[in-house]
Amino acid sequence: MWRDLVDLLFQAYEQFSLLPLFIEIALAFIVIAILATIIAYGAIMYKRYKSYVHEKRVAFIGPVIEEMITEQVLLNENLGRDIPTEEIEFDQAALNDKVYKKPFVRQILIETLVQYRKNFRGEVGDLLRKLYIDMDLQKDSFNKLKSLRWEKKIKAVVELTQMDITISDVTILPLTNSTNPSLRAAARNAYVQLSKNEPFKFFDIATEPLLPWDQLELFKIITTTKDIAIPNFSRWVSYSTNKSIVSFCLKLIAHYDQQSAIPAVMELLNNKDHYFRADAIACLGKLSADAAEEKMVKIYNHQPLNCQIEILKAMGSIASGRHLEFLKSEFLYSSNFDIRMNAARAIIRHNTQNSRMLVEELMEMTYEENQLIIKHCLNPLIKY
Amino acid sequence: MGENFVEYASAFFETTVFVYGSGLLMLYAMLAILSFINIRLFLRKESYTDYSVIVASPLAPGISVIAPAFNEGLTIISNVRSLLTFDYPNYEVIIINDGSTDDTLEKLMTEFSMVKVDFAYDVKISSKPVRGVYKSTDEAYAKLVVVDKENGKSKADATNAGINIAAYPYFLCTDVDCILHNQTLQMLIRPMMEEEHKRVIATGATLRMANSCEVDEGVLIKIRAPRPLLARFQELEYIRSFVLGKMGWSYINAVPNVSGGLGMFDKEIAVKAGGYDSVSFGEDMELRLRMSRYVYDNKIDAAVRYIPTTLCWTEGPSSMKVFMRQRTRWGRGLLQLLLTHRAMFLNPAYGRVGMIVVPYNVFFELLAPVIEFLGIIYYILLIYFGLVNWPYAIILLIFVYTYSVMISTLAVLWDQLTFQYYRNWKDVAMIALMAFVEMLIYHPLIVVFALRGYYFHLANRKHSWGNMQRKGFQKKEDKPKVTPAAG
Repeated sequence: MWRDLVDLLFQAYEQFSLLPLFIEIALAFIVIAILATIIAYGAIMYKRYKSYVHEKRVAFIGPVIEEMITEQVLLNENLGRDIPTEEIEFDQAALNDKVYKKPFVRQILIETLVQYRKNFRGEVGDLLRKLYIDMDLQKDSFNKLKSLRWEKKIKAVVELTQMDITISDVTILPLTNSTNPSLRAAARNAYVQLSKNEPFKFFDIATEPLLPWDQLELFKIITTTKDIAIPNFSRWVSYSTNKSIVSFCLKLIAHYDQQSAIPAVMELLNNKDHYFRADAIACLGKLSADAAEEKMVKIYNHQPLNCQIEILKAMGSIASGRHLEFLKSEFLYSSNFDIRMNAARAIIRHNTQNSRMLVEELMEMTYEENQLIIKHCLNPLIKY
Repeated sequence: MGENFVEYASAFFETTVFVYGSGLLMLYAMLAILSFINIRLFLRKESYTDYSVIVASPLAPGISVIAPAFNEGLTIISNVRSLLTFDYPNYEVIIINDGSTDDTLEKLMTEFSMVKVDFAYDVKISSKPVRGVYKSTDEAYAKLVVVDKENGKSKADATNAGINIAAYPYFLCTDVDCILHNQTLQMLIRPMMEEEHKRVIATGATLRMANSCEVDEGVLIKIRAPRPLLARFQELEYIRSFVLGKMGWSYINAVPNVSGGLGMFDKEIAVKAGGYDSVSFGEDMELRLRMSRYVYDNKIDAAVRYIPTTLCWTEGPSSMKVFMRQRTRWGRGLLQLLLTHRAMFLNPAYGRVGMIVVPYNVFFELLAPVIEFLGIIYYILLIYFGLVNWPYAIILLIFVYTYSVMISTLAVLWDQLTFQYYRNWKDVAMIALMAFVEMLIYHPLIVVFALRGYYFHLANRKHSWGNMQRKGFQKKEDKPKVTPAAG
């Protein structure tokens, strides 16, 4: 029988080899396409089945884990008795349950603990951390950190950071300059949170850019993490060669209202990059840097439009009243709509007797479109 | 001599079609691989991304959501309410009443306590005159702006008016009756903020059919595969186009267009490029090309990106008449814009757009219906003259059929690997099985309607924009509102 089959296949091959090349290719592709379609259907079924099983397992194990955490941590009878967290003991029998030996369950346990720790600080937070350590879960995280896959490394970094487990500088600092932007961002966030002495050290060595998306999380971490020593960010404004770090520091300077940084920020007004100058001007505006107003007016005429608009906005924030005439002339004589709009807004933002009188005067003396601009800026329903 | 000419002509035609067909098949194979890589990359990133960070961040860039409305009085209130529920800290919703002849504007004014305001703005791009701008006196609707303008007979004209009024550096263009996910803004702004060396000028995400979904007050309650056959074919087409096609193109920064139903744009570039072309029939792709033209002319290193997440559900045409009108317009628009931008064709000065995007559209989008149509005529002639080698012909037909089924099935697989929107097995099967009949029923319609569009353009036939006749969504009573998960 086998012999017959081999003969048949041999004959088929002989027939096949006699066909024109394009028909041979077509036949080969037909076989490939049919096989690929069957495999695709198989993969769809497998993927759905896998998701189904995963959901079932999570639905089963989730409550078990939550019950254990509730009993061991949230309802721990030693909580609130002034006993140091390190001395609180867990029920070892519960922790050593064989269910917690399975990697799948351990990963869900880690994720649940991370989630709980986001919501609980203080004694409960510390006890959650102790549970994480006592169950040797940090070893799982450190193993992931050794993985070659960057998303696993990120997962590990996030877990360790959330559980406040120190990662050595030798491990984490090189990652803050990784060429993989995602890993780099996670490592930088971790470094700021975990480094007790110099959380901003990576600012000094950062050669890779700090992307706007990554700035969001880093900004949140810096501004919400307790016990973080906030430095004078002007240090990097003056010395960093990494533009994105300087730009980020300008945002932090404005947020922390670091008045001492004003001279360093003013230095940036001479920078060749006009986007950079615009950022610096915006920062000076937010700082209400009275001292910078004179210089901004002086350089105004040599600036591109984006910087001119930022100067007008900054003058509205500073609102010294010394340059109302300048604003008036920009409003009346500029041919650019955005300039007139921002000049009007800056005058109105002064909100002084003089500025109010000026607004009235302008309403009387100017033409219809400019009057509309003033009405627009005065209308409380319109925010922008 | 005459016989020789026919022989040469047929040999030339056959060779051309063979090369063309092989190129097309290879292109789809390449797209399948590239999209797979890109989707995996996206999913790996998503596995640890915490979008809640941007929701509470003072650094979140501002986004203007622009949604034109024409005679949408029936559903406008729930649609606007839906648009006001985005999970994002810094945005405004601009509804353009494009000269509606029904009670759209009155309903908006009453429901949202709108009053006419003295609104100053600069007309940076042209549109029909604006009659008034309205803001709400109710602080709860402070994000809402209603613009009343004269009818411009196109969505492009209305959107241009919205762009002129938009306050923020990015704008999201959508249709007022599209159902958008509440995380749309945060997910679409992300590619704009995380590109290392390029300026991302536009982003888009997957669209799907909402035809059989359950919708309540503009919020999606239950996702279902469309029941009507025509909408089901479109669902498969959208999955193939977005999940397999655009994700593949996005990986090599050669996205052909950003859908008019959902696209986020860099306002500065869009304005400098001149905004939407209000006389174009393919205004979404036209804008994409013009923005690219601008960035190349000004030496700006730019990118257009797509994400595979479905963020927009739209009601597809369910009647043949509306479907024909839509596809005829698309065909006409494609020819029109490729003629307008012919200088970009195979022009290295326009980088990948000139060397990949435009040639792809010329060869595999514009010419495909023409070549298919000529092929069928040629086939009929061969049959008539008894010149067909039937065994070979059948093998080649099976080859094309199995290949097209494979590509569509792979697209469904990629979609399932990404997100399992359909909870029900039957829904997946319903879509996947469409691949077996698509080529026989749906594809010929696409070819005919595209050719009709080309003919209309060449014959300079008038085209009425018409209003998309929608049947509305299924409404589920007495069910709690839930927002569909992005993942």
